[in-house]
Amino acid sequence: MACTIIIAAAGAGKTERLIREALADPTRRVLITTYTIRNTDEITSRIIKERGVIPTNIHVERWFTFLLRDTIKPYQASFTEPFRTRAIDFNNQRPQYAKRGTEEYYYDQTANLYQDTVSDLACLINERAEGKTIRRLEELYDLILIDEMQDLASYDLEFLDLLIDSTLSVIMVGDPRQATYATSDSPKNKQYRGFGLFNWIEERRKKGLIAVEHMNWSHRCNHHICNFADALFPNQPATQSLNATTTPHDGIFFVFQEHLHTYTARFEPMVLRWSRTTIVASHLQQHAANIGEVKGCTFDRVLIYPTQPMLKYLKTKKPDDAGSKERLYVATTRARHSVAFVITKAFSSPLATAWHPEK
Amino acid sequence: MIRKIIIKNYKGYEQATIELQPTINILVGNNEAGKSTILEAVHLALTARIGRLHVSQCLSPHLLNRTVAKNYLAALHEGKPQPPPEIVIELYFETTPISASLKGTNNLLKEDTAGVRLWMHFDNDYAAEYDEHLKDAKAVHYVPTEYYKVEWLAFNGTSITQRSLKVNATLIDASKMRLQSGADYYLQRIIEESLTDAERVRLARTYADLKQTFATSAGITALNTILEQRKAHVTDKAFTLGMDTSPTSVWEASLVPHLDDLPFGHAGGGEQSMMKILLAITRNTDGSHIVLIEEPENHLSFPRLNSLVDKIGTLCEGRQVLLTTHSSFVLNKLGLKQLLLLKNQTTTRLTALPEDTQEYFKKLSGYDTLRMVLTDKAILVEGPSDDLIVQRAYRDTRQRLPIVDGIDVIAVRGLAFKRFLDIAAVTGTKVSVVTDNDGDPDAVQKKYEAYKQYAHIKICYSIDATRTTLEPQLVGCNTIEDLNAALGTAHATLADVIANIGSKAGKTDAALKIFESPHRLTMPEYITRAITWLAQ
Repeated sequence: MACTIIIAAAGAGKTERLIREALADPTRRVLITTYTIRNTDEITSRIIKERGVIPTNIHVERWFTFLLRDTIKPYQASFTEPFRTRAIDFNNQRPQYAKRGTEEYYYDQTANLYQDTVSDLACLINERAEGKTIRRLEELYDLILIDEMQDLASYDLEFLDLLIDSTLSVIMVGDPRQATYATSDSPKNKQYRGFGLFNWIEERRKKGLIAVEHMNWSHRCNHHICNFADALFPNQPATQSLNATTTPHDGIFFVFQEHLHTYTARFEPMVLRWSRTTIVASHLQQHAANIGEVKGCTFDRVLIYPTQPMLKYLKTKKPDDAGSKERLYVATTRARHSVAFVITKAFSSPLATAWHPEK
Repeated sequence: MIRKIIIKNYKGYEQATIELQPTINILVGNNEAGKSTILEAVHLALTARIGRLHVSQCLSPHLLNRTVAKNYLAALHEGKPQPPPEIVIELYFETTPISASLKGTNNLLKEDTAGVRLWMHFDNDYAAEYDEHLKDAKAVHYVPTEYYKVEWLAFNGTSITQRSLKVNATLIDASKMRLQSGADYYLQRIIEESLTDAERVRLARTYADLKQTFATSAGITALNTILEQRKAHVTDKAFTLGMDTSPTSVWEASLVPHLDDLPFGHAGGGEQSMMKILLAITRNTDGSHIVLIEEPENHLSFPRLNSLVDKIGTLCEGRQVLLTTHSSFVLNKLGLKQLLLLKNQTTTRLTALPEDTQEYFKKLSGYDTLRMVLTDKAILVEGPSDDLIVQRAYRDTRQRLPIVDGIDVIAVRGLAFKRFLDIAAVTGTKVSVVTDNDGDPDAVQKKYEAYKQYAHIKICYSIDATRTTLEPQLVGCNTIEDLNAALGTAHATLADVIANIGSKAGKTDAALKIFESPHRLTMPEYITRAITWLAQ
């Protein structure tokens, strides 16, 4: 089996694992690709920190850059004019009236591709070129490593199937529990969005197309946080905490708004909010970050402004009440020692302890 | 490495496809046939440079094919606006692990292969200007290449750089040798390219160390102290002398290669040319380096050329070389099968040439095979005296020398006839052979039996077995008076004439006299037959 998918809990060290794979054998030609710019930079800088330079056998590229350079341009002639494609249009939406398979569905006026049609076109070109795209990749690389695979969706998944089918070695790591956004808004493969990716993986495992490995541990989160996060996805194996450090303030808490000043002064937590529109105490506004932006980050402590569904979950313990479980999972698993939720009125929860400055 | 070249609208080529061999390719053709253009085009597509300048700096209407430019302008003048014609040079590579990343179908043939394209075409960002330009179409007298852009692309559809291309080319043009000392760009490039990455780093580092040592030497420190004391009225800042450590100050600017302690630029042209060629072809590469050599015979004496050609032959094993030449010697030595004949924008190869014929010319490299290859029509004769007589016969019948009609008379000795005909069989050159029967016409017929199948080859000889060679033949069809008049002699009998002009020593002398004589002789029938047939 040439394809392995590694499902890694938050803080398990999955990116590290990928980098080990990449650097293991200098004779292998390796492509490392991932969806976000932030993670691409992170991988690049980690390799540079270790080796001083990106070795010539390794290419690190954003998913979109990879698609454009290696799956669209080489055989674009089987769909459109040679050399036509320029870049990706991240700003405009494809026209609603355009029909799939026509040029105006994929290309804007200046020969840039609409963002959410790129992997679609990649699959189409490979098909029209009778598999040449994949043959070329097989000639070019020995190993393809995909980090944060849970960020891929829609036709990206179709393309992953082509890679799984090829003679290439492919290792994908990711965590469907952290699937907080997607490369594409296309309705294709909607059922596999977010946490649904587990089903996609499972279907392929059952068919014997891929091997699945788990990294069920967290170097980052203590056992309180691991347990809290695991409870959101009861069907997944439990995460073992490898953070045995204890501090005077470990665990899951809720904090009343009037105690915020004292709390933040004492613990200096990282403040996380749903989005820019979330109302955050004025003294914390400068330091607050959106949950979607902190994936991959580590903080000692986090303070979360919960959404209504999150609050509901804290009361009911029913994962389906939590709204975006994926975001809640990401937010809590950033912390090493403690997670606190901001509460405005009287509250109790079977999952969290009330924090009081005098206690 | 390069399998195929396609040139579109570049200089002499409107549209040409040239297939190459992975080893040596000898480009042969008349002047203006476009040999140098091919080398230039390959170099251009592999380096994006013309000479040492980036192609965008040399973009001009002169790069465009004249016919294409003329048609474009004619259309404009007729009021049919159109986009300016594009120039395309495409190199189709062998797909190897090194070139695999360049693979794709972005090329004129939509062929799935690794390759590169240099593309000069109208830049649509200038649409408004061009529109304005066309308003007075009648006043447009050249192709507006100022609105062109240059793109250097791989068949995978993306732009390339020299570094990402991983294939390099060295162009050596011995006729344009630069002689100024120390600043020979080409030589420095060749030297630099012949070093491995590690060696290059060591050279740069050693040079940097040297600069450092110089800057901190006692002499310089003392000098800086003096300067510091004298600066008073000049500046308030520290004022010292130091070495230039900027990246532009690299070893190339200061280090000069020496030959026997003589700076390279002061060595002879031949020596320089030979060194450059040898440095380029001994470069340590993984087969991704292409050597382009213009007329290696320039500046070289015969023995030097001989040794150079030998070295090119052996050292270019596993390396692709494109070489132009006007020398039959170079061609024969490197092998006629490597030849690529350029004529009227098309190319011909001698791949069908029998192996033993190629070997024959490799060993007897003095034969003028190139004349045979380049001419449209040829008459093969036995030696210098036959050459003169045939030329005279031609002038007698057609009032001009054969060369004026594009007919080359080539003197070939005995055994080589068949070898030359092997070449003609492949090139399709129209050839008549004028040969002695040596007393056995049947033997002659048998000897050339194999060439009967070719309509463009004709063997002419006399069936009169008693007149074995040209001289008895001449005597046979002329009176004693005519012969005496033409030769300026007073022989009594025809036997005397034969005795005189048939001797080895007298032959050429006599032929020269006949050639120059105002008195016209009757020429043997087989000679006029050869001429008439060829002139048809």
